[in-house]
Amino acid sequence: MIGDALALARKDLLLEVRRREVVLAMLQYVITTLVVIHFAIAGAGSSQKAAAGMLWAAILFTAVLSLNRCFAADQEEGALDALLLAPIDRAAIWLGKVLAQMTFLLIMEAIALPAFWLFFFGEKGPRPLPVIAAVLLANIGLATIGVLVAGLAQATRARDVLLPVLFLPLSIPLVIAAVTATLESFPGGSGAQKALQFLAVFNIVFTSLAWGTYEHLAGE
Amino acid sequence: MPAALRFPGGGWVASSGALIPLAIALAAWWVPDDADQGYSQRIFYFHVPIALTTYAAFAYGAFCAAAYLKTRDPRWDLRSYVGVHVGAIFGTLVLITGSIWAKVSWGVWWDWSDRQLNVFLVLFLYYCAYFMLRFSVDEGEQRMSYSAVYTLLGVGLIPLSILAVRIAQSLVHPTVFTTSGAAMTNDMFMTFLVAFAGMLCLAAGMIAMELRGKRAALRVRELRRRLEGTDL
Amino acid sequence: MPPPVELAACSKRFGERVALRRVSFTVPAGTAVALTGPNGSGKSTVLRVVAGLVRPTAGAALVDGTPATDLPRSERGAIGYLGHRALAYRGMTAAENLALMARLHRRPAAAVAPALAEVGLADRGDDRIDGFSRGMLQRLSLARILVTEPALLLLDEPATGLDTAGAALLDAVLGRLRGRVTLLAATHDDAFAARHADAVIRLDRGEVA
Repeated sequence: MIGDALALARKDLLLEVRRREVVLAMLQYVITTLVVIHFAIAGAGSSQKAAAGMLWAAILFTAVLSLNRCFAADQEEGALDALLLAPIDRAAIWLGKVLAQMTFLLIMEAIALPAFWLFFFGEKGPRPLPVIAAVLLANIGLATIGVLVAGLAQATRARDVLLPVLFLPLSIPLVIAAVTATLESFPGGSGAQKALQFLAVFNIVFTSLAWGTYEHLAGE
Repeated sequence: MPAALRFPGGGWVASSGALIPLAIALAAWWVPDDADQGYSQRIFYFHVPIALTTYAAFAYGAFCAAAYLKTRDPRWDLRSYVGVHVGAIFGTLVLITGSIWAKVSWGVWWDWSDRQLNVFLVLFLYYCAYFMLRFSVDEGEQRMSYSAVYTLLGVGLIPLSILAVRIAQSLVHPTVFTTSGAAMTNDMFMTFLVAFAGMLCLAAGMIAMELRGKRAALRVRELRRRLEGTDL
Repeated sequence: MPPPVELAACSKRFGERVALRRVSFTVPAGTAVALTGPNGSGKSTVLRVVAGLVRPTAGAALVDGTPATDLPRSERGAIGYLGHRALAYRGMTAAENLALMARLHRRPAAAVAPALAEVGLADRGDDRIDGFSRGMLQRLSLARILVTEPALLLLDEPATGLDTAGAALLDAVLGRLRGRVTLLAATHDDAFAARHADAVIRLDRGEVA
């Protein structure tokens, strides 16, 4: 199962390296979104705390961008059918996509996060380690629920519109915890442990649910 | 039972018709004032039971969704859909009564720092999206499977919502039920129970009635198809 | 031993449209059955139902006695499905696509080259398939099936888009496999049916005619 998932993840990464559709757009989008939000809350939000919120909003919306394209390559020539017909555990399809999505998110964050730190947090920012931990844990959660919801949305009539509608409510607890972790990592905060633990629990709950139910997304 | 109540769900509706006015009477006149909040606190006796009933309806919807995935029997899908639907209706009532309570007690229609209310909002939004998903898929096995999967994912939200409340301390939303028991007197608890029972009966009645209505509509459609020769 | 393919009063409705109505037939092991009928008669739906990609609204579609949508993982690989689309990834080469399928079907990587050769794509293996013509994609689909060595072939108008050489290759492949696999093929071409099928089932507006 893991082997199949890795093979499928490798396929998605290979396609991305060749076609460069998603990651560059994500980078562009995350930077632009940060700038837009910064200007949008210009009156109220020049504080560090507002910056923490901006960061996570931007990451979330960029994740939506990436998830919208998640099954695109599999649908072009109906390759998804071939995956469903293969003698593999169908959860491997889901897991492979999750691994690929996490990779895309990581690449985007590897560039966006330091840039963000430089421009918005500066010297007085939160302790980096808990924030990075939050980012890594959040990636798992976003990818886990995102790929499952993308699997639901891709078979419907209104797929581009439906994905954000289905995905965002699920992601709210994750964002709340991630922002809490970031805010509590500022000097004077009470520490991000509880929020990080929540993120871990969130991941465990939804990974189990997604793993168990992906099988049912096959078939018309 | 009087003829007017002899329909599926009639028993539930009759019970709620007895319990809810009783609860209103108890809450309005019998139960003593809350020490901290005064008379306006009494809406709690409805707000919280309605909220709990919403959770119960969504849980029923999720249970039926799991049953559908196990048995592939379309009747479970219908029950699941109706459960979520009634849950959404009660959820709307929660938000309305919650806003009223907030306005009366604390002067604001909505309080963004109130974690419980906001987390409930998340669940409510999630299940509203359920309808968008359901009706973007053509009727059939796929729609039923997808609805069931989505409903079950929402089950994950319920405990996570409760956990989110624990982590983020809220000073505004009174937490009445803690792990050490209910922080209220026996009179208050009894009133609360009456109202809760009444709300559950109402929800059960609404579910039964809606199921009956949907099944009748499906039967009509089956007959129409048979007439037109497009049945299977 | 249950037959490889059995449809029992199988019906499928997509929204308001009835695609199949109470279709019943059996394909005995090792034989070839052609599905004929006009456009929109339900041939593609039958194949997709047998492949387990579409769940029947009523009735059953059984593969080796098990409902096609509930086939255990190990038996799924015995089905080779050729549809209207290539079931491949545009950004990858022909060889990479086949290698992925081989891996997922637990076939050795060495199976890719002979499959490409048998469909006449040996020299195009390292070309990305987004440059392929319709006929080449059809050949690629055929190669994909050959790599997985199925016991049950479900072909949806396999000669579509093939030039004379391609059609000859298809005939050769089907001739080689005759009697050793079970075949269910949808086709418009009566000559094709006569060449390759032991029996013909005609569909009209979702029903067996």
